[in-house]
Amino acid sequence: MSPDTLAALSIRGIAKRFGSIVAVAGISVDIKLGEICGLTGPNGSGKSTLFDCCTGLQKPSTGRVYAQGLDITGWDMHRIVREARVIRSFQKAVVFRALSVEENLVLCGQMIAFAGMASTFGVGPASRHRVRRLREQAGHLLELVGLSHMRHATAGQISFGQQKLLQFASMLMPEPRVILLDEPMAGVNPILIDRMMENINRANREQGITFVVVEHNLDAMKALCHRLLVLSRGELIADGAPDAVVRDPAVVEAYLAG
Amino acid sequence: MATMQLHEVNTHGSHIYNNPRHGLRITGFVVLVVALAAAPLVAGEYQLHALIVSMTFLLPALGLNLILGYAGMLSFAQMAFFGIGAYSSALTAMRWGTPFWLNLIIGGLAAGVVAVPLGIPALRLRRYSFVMCTLGFAVIAQTVAKNLVSVTRGDLGLSQVPRPRIALWSGGFEVTGITSYYYLALTLAVLAVVAFLALVSSAAGRYMIAIREDETLAASVGTPTWHYRMIAFALSAVFAGVGGSFYVHYFTVISPTVFDPFYANTVLVIVLGGGVGTVGGVVLGSFLFVAASEALRIAPDLRMIAYGLLLIVIVFACPEGLLPLFMRKLDGLKGRTHVA
Ligand SMILES: Nc1ncnc2c1ncn2[C@@H]1O[C@H](COP(=O)(O)OP(=O)(O)O)[C@@H](O)[C@H]1O
Ligand SMILES: [Mg+2]
Repeated sequence: MSPDTLAALSIRGIAKRFGSIVAVAGISVDIKLGEICGLTGPNGSGKSTLFDCCTGLQKPSTGRVYAQGLDITGWDMHRIVREARVIRSFQKAVVFRALSVEENLVLCGQMIAFAGMASTFGVGPASRHRVRRLREQAGHLLELVGLSHMRHATAGQISFGQQKLLQFASMLMPEPRVILLDEPMAGVNPILIDRMMENINRANREQGITFVVVEHNLDAMKALCHRLLVLSRGELIADGAPDAVVRDPAVVEAYLAG
Repeated sequence: MATMQLHEVNTHGSHIYNNPRHGLRITGFVVLVVALAAAPLVAGEYQLHALIVSMTFLLPALGLNLILGYAGMLSFAQMAFFGIGAYSSALTAMRWGTPFWLNLIIGGLAAGVVAVPLGIPALRLRRYSFVMCTLGFAVIAQTVAKNLVSVTRGDLGLSQVPRPRIALWSGGFEVTGITSYYYLALTLAVLAVVAFLALVSSAAGRYMIAIREDETLAASVGTPTWHYRMIAFALSAVFAGVGGSFYVHYFTVISPTVFDPFYANTVLVIVLGGGVGTVGGVVLGSFLFVAASEALRIAPDLRMIAYGLLLIVIVFACPEGLLPLFMRKLDGLKGRTHVA
């Protein structure tokens, strides 16, 4: 199967085994440029592992991943972010807890502002100017996600929902083309969920960023996504318009069984 | 992916970014430098000697602080790099009569260059294996110094190492008196602290902190984690090597005892006792611990025991090191004045 070179992500036969456990059992799917694609399925169905294989955290046992035709299979995570502009969030590790909210954002923007390794050692006016620009950009993003008042707070001390908003803003700093969000709304209160959905929509509309969002909240998924994928035991069991997919008997059964 | 963060490392390293006490720290630093500059007016020769030793140990301690406090990896190789810096600097000065500044560079570079091939395999290991690797390296370094007799003169060590010669190339003058040594050490210590602060507040320093905090998260935002761990390790060796160079031209002798665990432990105590991940803590640690161990020389039999007891007391009384303790005391005072 040849990759779709226009697709934001073209996943071809990705499988991942941990010993005898088959976490992902050979998935092929194309994520179109500019779409917001939901990914759901019972716990342990392989959603996070699929993200891991697409972003270099895990090397897939078999299969290949392409980002707009670029074969990124087996690349290190930092290289995938830098060169393919595919970035992902984690379920657990959300932010750099010891850094301030603003410093979290500055750090995440560094890979653009200080692209070459030598430039990261600079301390002169040019470097200070770059950091100032990053802080401005950070200020702008904090306003968008509604965290301006927390700018100097220590990231580990703000609420979990606010950390998730910060995490989202952090991922916009390196100007990505594709964002993979792993349960961005889990454990977040309803008001912040609305704000998160608004932010995803805005980034998609205004910056054309492609999203893949793992989420269990099917109502949120129906409202947010153009398309919904469902995994069960490492396999893709449904792919289509959210309304149709949630009524699919196979999906209903997987959820009841899972 | 190897996960090498030491989670028990405390997190106030990040204070350089989000720091309401920034002004206080600069003031503290300036006051300390001025006080140290004035010390020869009141201090006797022996006190000056103790201060010189403190400032010499500050360099390997800053190096350890970089690798442990900022990149999150525990290394026992600091004094081995210190020794490598000392030996290489002494040997070039003895053979070619190189001036002091060049010896410092040679000492630093020699240590940094050795760190790279050690780091390539060691940094791929998990954190405990990495610690063991650095321990093993220290043992190997000592063995080489003892057995490569044609170069190092084995257990005899090198003696009559030239004193620091301040010159662009040849000629110039030789540093001999204790006061001149003292100012040389102070200059070096100030430069080292300034270089360290510049490094940890640069974008590279921010990457190192990110790696310490969460290596996977750091990589996910584009940090080439392996490269920056390597850089932190090599630079920590450079700091130690420069310290070793100064040491050898001050004492004018060097032997394989420099690789003894006692010295490696001293550096660890300075950093952990003072406050890992802070600069002020390491400066404080260098003065307190080296001064304490020098003062305890009066009772040589008790010295090691007293030193050990001191360590235990500190670990129990303030596991984060002395600096955070002082800072809390300071905050406590402030709180009370507000209430009053
Ligand atoms: N590092 C790992 N080692 C062993 N098994 C793993 C590892 N990561 C995930 N798994 C297993 O793979 C399966 C899929 O997990 P995961 O991708 O986290 O599912 P989801 O994100 O859909 O809840 C689970 O059975 C999980 O136990
Ligand atoms: Mg998951």
